[in-house]
Amino acid sequence: MQNESTIAAAEIPVSESAKRTEMIHEDTTAKLFLLSSVTYFFIVGIIALLIAAKFVMPSFLGTIPQLTYGRLRPLHVNGMLFGWLLACDMALMYYVVPRLCGVKLWSEKLGIATGVLWNVIILSAVVSFLMGWNQGWEYAELPLILDVGVVLAWVMFGANVFMTIANRKYQAMYVTLWYAMGTILWTAFVYLTGNFATLFTTGVNQANLNWMYVHNAVGLIFTPVGLAIAYYFIPKASNTPLYSHKLSMIGFWSLAFVYVWTGAHHMLHGPISQWLQTITIVFSVMLLIPVWAAVYNFFATMKGQWHQLRDNVSLKFLMSGVVFYLLTCFQGPMHSLHVVNAIVSKTDWIPGHAHMAVLGAFSFFAIAGTYYALPRLFNTELYSDALANWSFWLLLIGGLGFFVTLWLGGFWQGWQWNNPAIPFIDTVVALQPVWAVRLGSGFLMFGGIVAFGYNVLATVLGAKGSGVEANPAEVAA
Amino acid sequence: MDYTYPSVYFAYFFFLIVAIGALYFFVKSYRDGYWGDEGEEIKYRIFEEEELGGENGRK
Repeated sequence: MQNESTIAAAEIPVSESAKRTEMIHEDTTAKLFLLSSVTYFFIVGIIALLIAAKFVMPSFLGTIPQLTYGRLRPLHVNGMLFGWLLACDMALMYYVVPRLCGVKLWSEKLGIATGVLWNVIILSAVVSFLMGWNQGWEYAELPLILDVGVVLAWVMFGANVFMTIANRKYQAMYVTLWYAMGTILWTAFVYLTGNFATLFTTGVNQANLNWMYVHNAVGLIFTPVGLAIAYYFIPKASNTPLYSHKLSMIGFWSLAFVYVWTGAHHMLHGPISQWLQTITIVFSVMLLIPVWAAVYNFFATMKGQWHQLRDNVSLKFLMSGVVFYLLTCFQGPMHSLHVVNAIVSKTDWIPGHAHMAVLGAFSFFAIAGTYYALPRLFNTELYSDALANWSFWLLLIGGLGFFVTLWLGGFWQGWQWNNPAIPFIDTVVALQPVWAVRLGSGFLMFGGIVAFGYNVLATVLGAKGSGVEANPAEVAA
Repeated sequence: MDYTYPSVYFAYFFFLIVAIGALYFFVKSYRDGYWGDEGEEIKYRIFEEEELGGENGRK
C-alpha cells in the first residue's frame, strides 16, 4: 500500500535507516507484564463468574468466609483493574514507547524489577482479600502496605517511561506519548488522593475524595492509557495514518481540563454543597468534547478502511472498543443530570456502565494491542486467527448482554426504589431475571477470555526462535 | 485534630500548581509546533520502523 507514510519513510537518510535496523528491542519487561496480565484475566474471570452466580443463587458456596461475596467482590474488582487491565496497559506502554521514541527502553532491569514487584503486589492482594484484610473503600480496598508498593512500582514505571522519552531520537512526540505521560502523572495524583488523602479526612469530605478517586481511576488512569493504545494501534493495525494529530491534541487537553471535576456526580442528591453538584454536572457534560474529539478522529481514520474489519481481529476489538467508549461516555454525562441520577444512582445501571468502560472499551483496546504486539514480541505468528475471532464474538455478545441487561435493569430497579409502595425485598426478587441474564452473559464473556488466554499461551509456547521474522501483514490479520 | 481547613487549602494550592503546569505545557506545545502547519507530520512516524527493518527493528 503506497500511502503518505511510505513517502515520509522514504525521505529518511540511508544512514538513519541503517542505524535503526541495528536496534533490537529486548521487550523482556513487556513480555513479563503481558503474560502476567493475561493470566490474571483468566483467574479473576473465574472469580467474576462466582460472584455473578451468587446473585442468582445467594446460598452458592455456602458460608465459607473466603468465598463470601464481600471478599470475592473486591478481589474481582482489584484483580481486573490492576492485575489484568493496568498491567496489560503497562505492557503495551513498554512495547509502544521505545518504538515511538526510536530508542530502546531506558532500563530493562528496572522494568523487570517493576514487573516482579507488581506481581508480588497482586498475589499479596489475592491473599489479603480472601483473608478479609481490606480498607473498605471502593477501588481502594488494598491494605496500606500494598498501597505503598503500588506507589513504588508506579514511580519505577514512570521513571522508565519518562527517561525513555527524554532520550528519544525525535523531538516531536506522537499523541500516544502525550497520553502515556499524562497517565503517569494523573495516576500518581489520583492514586495518592484515593488511597492516602482519604485517611486524613472525615465524613462528606472523605466520601467526596473517594468518589473523585473511583471515577478518575477510570477517567484519568484507564481512559488516557486506553486512548494512548488506541491512537497507536488503530493506525498501525489498519496501516492508515491518523486522521488529525491536531484534533488528538484538542482531545488530550480538553480531557486534562474537564475530567478531574466529574467524580462528585456520584454524590448527587447527597449531602454535598450545591455549587459542587452544579460544577460536577457542567464538567460531566463537557466530557462530550474530549470524547467526541477522540471518537471522530478514530472514525475518520477508518474512512475507506472499514472493509479491513472483516479479516483483522485487532481492528475488530479496537473499533468495537471505540463504539463502547462513545456509548459509555454518553451514559456518564447523562448519569450526572439530576433527573436521570435520581433514577439510576446506586442501581445495577452503575456496574453496567462501569463494565462498558473497563471491559467494553479499555479491555477491548488492551486485547487488540495484545493480539497485535504478541506475535512481534515473540517473533512468531498468532496461534489461531479463528480462535481470536471466537474470543472477539464471545466477548462482544456476552458484553452486550451484560451491559444492556444491567442498563435496562438498573432503570427498572430505580423506578421501583422510587415507589415507596414497593417493599425493598420485592425489588430484589424482581431483579432475578436480570441477574440470570447477567450470569449467562458472564459465561459467554469468560468463554472469550479462555479463547484469548489459550491463544496467547499457544502463541508463546509455539514461538519460533529469535531471528525468524514473522510476516507483519499476516500477523496483523 | 480537624484536617478540613488544611486539606482545603492544600487542595487549592495543589490545583494552582496543576493549573500552572498545564498552562506551561500547553504554551510549550504551541511553541514546539504541535498546532502549526507541520503539526500533522508526526502521525506518519509510527509507520517508519516497520518499513525500515521490521516491527521489532530486526532485519
